[in-house]
Amino acid sequence: MTRRIRLKFFLVSAAALALCFFWGYAGLPAFGHGSSIYADIVNAISVPQRHITDAVTAVNFDIRGFDTLGEEFILFTSVLGVILLMRRTKDEPAGDHEDKAPGRKVPPVSDAVRVIALLLLAPTIVFGWYIVVHGQVTPGGGFQGGVILSSAPLLLYLCGSYPKVRGAAAPRLIEIAEALGAAGYIVIGGACVALGGMFLENLLPLGKAGTLTSGGMVPFINLGVGLEVSGGFTLILLVYLEELMEEKES
Amino acid sequence: MIVFQAFILLFVAAGGTAVVFTRDATSQAIVVSFYGLLLGIMFFVFQAPDVALSQIVVGAMALPLMIMLALARIRKQNRKRQQ
Amino acid sequence: MRLLPVLPVVVPLITAAALAVLTKLLPRAWSALIAIASTIATAAAAALLLRDSLQQPIVYWFGNWKPNGRMALGISFAIDPIGAGLATFAAVLTAAALVFGSKYFDSVENHFHALILCFLGAMCGFSLTGDMFNLFVFFELMSAAAFALCAYKTEDPGALQGALNFAVTNTIGAYFVLTGIGLLYARTGALNMAQMSEALASHPADKLVLVAFAFISCGYLVKAAVVPFHFWLADAHAVAPSPVCVLFSGVMVEMGLYAVARIYWAVFNQTLHADIASLRILVVSIGAATAVLAAIMCFSQRNLKRLLAFSTISHVGLMTIGVGLFTAGGLAGAAIYTLGHGLVKGGLFLAAGMLLHRFSTVDELDLHGRGRSEKWAGFVFFAGAIGLAGLPPSGVSAGDDLIHEAARAIGYHWVRWISFFAAIITSAAVLRAACRVFFGWGPRREEQPGGAPKTQESRETDRSQQRTPMTMIAPAVALVVAGMFLNFTPRLKRIATQSATEFQNSEAYSARVLRAAPKRTPTAPAPAPENPLFGISAFACAALGAACYLFSKSFRSTSRWITRPLSVLHGLHSGHVGDYVAFLTFGIAAFGLVCVLCLR
Repeated sequence: MTRRIRLKFFLVSAAALALCFFWGYAGLPAFGHGSSIYADIVNAISVPQRHITDAVTAVNFDIRGFDTLGEEFILFTSVLGVILLMRRTKDEPAGDHEDKAPGRKVPPVSDAVRVIALLLLAPTIVFGWYIVVHGQVTPGGGFQGGVILSSAPLLLYLCGSYPKVRGAAAPRLIEIAEALGAAGYIVIGGACVALGGMFLENLLPLGKAGTLTSGGMVPFINLGVGLEVSGGFTLILLVYLEELMEEKES
Repeated sequence: MIVFQAFILLFVAAGGTAVVFTRDATSQAIVVSFYGLLLGIMFFVFQAPDVALSQIVVGAMALPLMIMLALARIRKQNRKRQQ
Repeated sequence: MRLLPVLPVVVPLITAAALAVLTKLLPRAWSALIAIASTIATAAAAALLLRDSLQQPIVYWFGNWKPNGRMALGISFAIDPIGAGLATFAAVLTAAALVFGSKYFDSVENHFHALILCFLGAMCGFSLTGDMFNLFVFFELMSAAAFALCAYKTEDPGALQGALNFAVTNTIGAYFVLTGIGLLYARTGALNMAQMSEALASHPADKLVLVAFAFISCGYLVKAAVVPFHFWLADAHAVAPSPVCVLFSGVMVEMGLYAVARIYWAVFNQTLHADIASLRILVVSIGAATAVLAAIMCFSQRNLKRLLAFSTISHVGLMTIGVGLFTAGGLAGAAIYTLGHGLVKGGLFLAAGMLLHRFSTVDELDLHGRGRSEKWAGFVFFAGAIGLAGLPPSGVSAGDDLIHEAARAIGYHWVRWISFFAAIITSAAVLRAACRVFFGWGPRREEQPGGAPKTQESRETDRSQQRTPMTMIAPAVALVVAGMFLNFTPRLKRIATQSATEFQNSEAYSARVLRAAPKRTPTAPAPAPENPLFGISAFACAALGAACYLFSKSFRSTSRWITRPLSVLHGLHSGHVGDYVAFLTFGIAAFGLVCVLCLR
């Protein structure tokens, strides 16, 4: 189809589709009212039954924990896919790490960027771990903290210390950490079965609501997910920086 | 409160349109980053801090970063192929 | 019973995580063996679940979050024979694909095994779950693994394009599924299918419910590749490695149909039951259009893998007719058809992989006569053509019998002729290709334009082997022979019809999931008598058609009147993702409008 025919065809269909969207959304409950029964029940039982003050974490890692297992493996699979797609063929030699236009000298990293990146590095790591560990108390949790943690190698790269990235984030270790995080979730579920319950049943002692050790198995799952997510995103960064290349031998 | 919500919804709509109509790939990465930040603020205004945290880090940092790194790889590969 | 329902999902996933780390440390043979062992364990667990669910369907609550009388909070697996059977089938096909692939890829594995195991785990979870959002999560996991596997041959620029078409169209489908789930959650406040069904049943269906039904069904129908959502499938199959194509055609596409059937019968039946006649017309006509269109496209392909891909779409159209009849016989027929077709198509794709391995091309004209030395691949191709035509006792013929009987019972007599047409054309295409490649019959060049253009196919292996290894021959032959003789399984039709009747009993499903009510065995009607005439005549017509095409120049030139419309049809399958998305939008809009305006 030529571009104009395609555009016209699409616009007509999109108008009809917009009508369907309108019909669908017009039937929704009024904004701000009609909160769902599910939400009310979760709010009511989150502290008494599980001693978790962050209801979102209670849903993510306890009540609907199996969904989070699937989501975690989606991230795992996507990282595998990125590594696969970025693999280098044999006749493509490893390039420089700076992107050079021909005949242009790469300007050095500006001092302002370097200072700020270095200053932000330690707080980022601390903040990331804080969010991971406090998942069952305050908003946050494994996923959010993991992504914050994975921005730390990026800060190192930005301040031009590329060799330090290699030193700080050995690809082999990151891969192992990521796989351990992913497998850890399943191992925790299996441990629940071994302890006499169903898969992912929260059987550990629940602790006092509002402390770091509340929620039974949720702190462990938080750590596992944080490890997996930070490992996954760091791996993607390393793949792009050509650190983690799968050689395709012929 | 309702004023905040209305405003941020308008900004998000404008931001989404801006992303689609930015044609150059590198500029689009920057616009996507800003759009991600707008979405994060929107989630916060609608009282979903967990989602806002994820959105700010992924949508404003990780996604535009991946776009720009992929573009850099493609540029490098094209240059090597020409040589 | 506390661990068994989880095993089909958990075993492949944890093996994938282990392999992703160990793949560089272990020699390649070890990693292949671990993957195959894990797949066999999954198949065994799923088969045990199948056996148990035949007596009493299993309900498993994760985290022990049982329904507390008001509300189902946790995620449940609601395992019935059709779901468990689909999971077992997926595991068996994956094992065959892995055995084929063990000597197939010369290069370092690059996470191939880990990705296939993630794919298998997702498919098992998809077919066992009883929760809407969990279905979506496993759908996404299946898609992520499928996109990566499709783009596996990264040195081929076409592979990325095909994978991109696949990824963009299926992600848009997933977006519509998510929108529909959001609408339903806002209305019912529940994500468990049984709970949603009871919440929806208390009010008549209004526009929101109809739009949600349309969106969710269309999203899953994109995966099922029915017209007009089918464009991505041929591109994806042409570029994906052959073991991966086995999984795509054999079970991934059928999962989309399973999802549509599941969400209708588990969620929407109690509220949309009055409109079932209109829904029948809608779904059966989509299926018929798919079957006819894809069969025509199939016959005009030169690339063997695209030919097989279009024949998959055509047969999926017939399965859609089976599901769309909305009776127990139709669903049972579609289930058996899935098994029979998947086995035969898997074998055919593996045979195409053998040809690619040996000759580095799958273009039918380039391979003219060169296949004489590949006796086993030839056997698989001819047996596959017989299986696709529906010669008894193949699985396809058993499925056909049930579907035609069900169609006749509600007055849809024309279904039999559509099925006949699709069977003849697809089988004739495979026969024509087989005769041309393995016997050297027929012309060496296409005389008239209007067929598919020649496509480039990159090698999947780096060395041309003088001999095809037994690990490649054995799975292909095993699959196609199993597909050809599937009807010899004792009481297959009776079990299928009984399971389908139970599948369609929405009240019993809700009672079982939410209140643990014991099952009452319904009496299944006696299955349809065998009608061997259909299959035999289909195959005879197919053979006649292929022979005419190959040998009679006048036959080929009299078909000149079809050249013009055929080239228009080929032009529509342009490979441009914008075209595909335009057709997708049109399809969803049309389905949505029909649902809202004609169902009430």
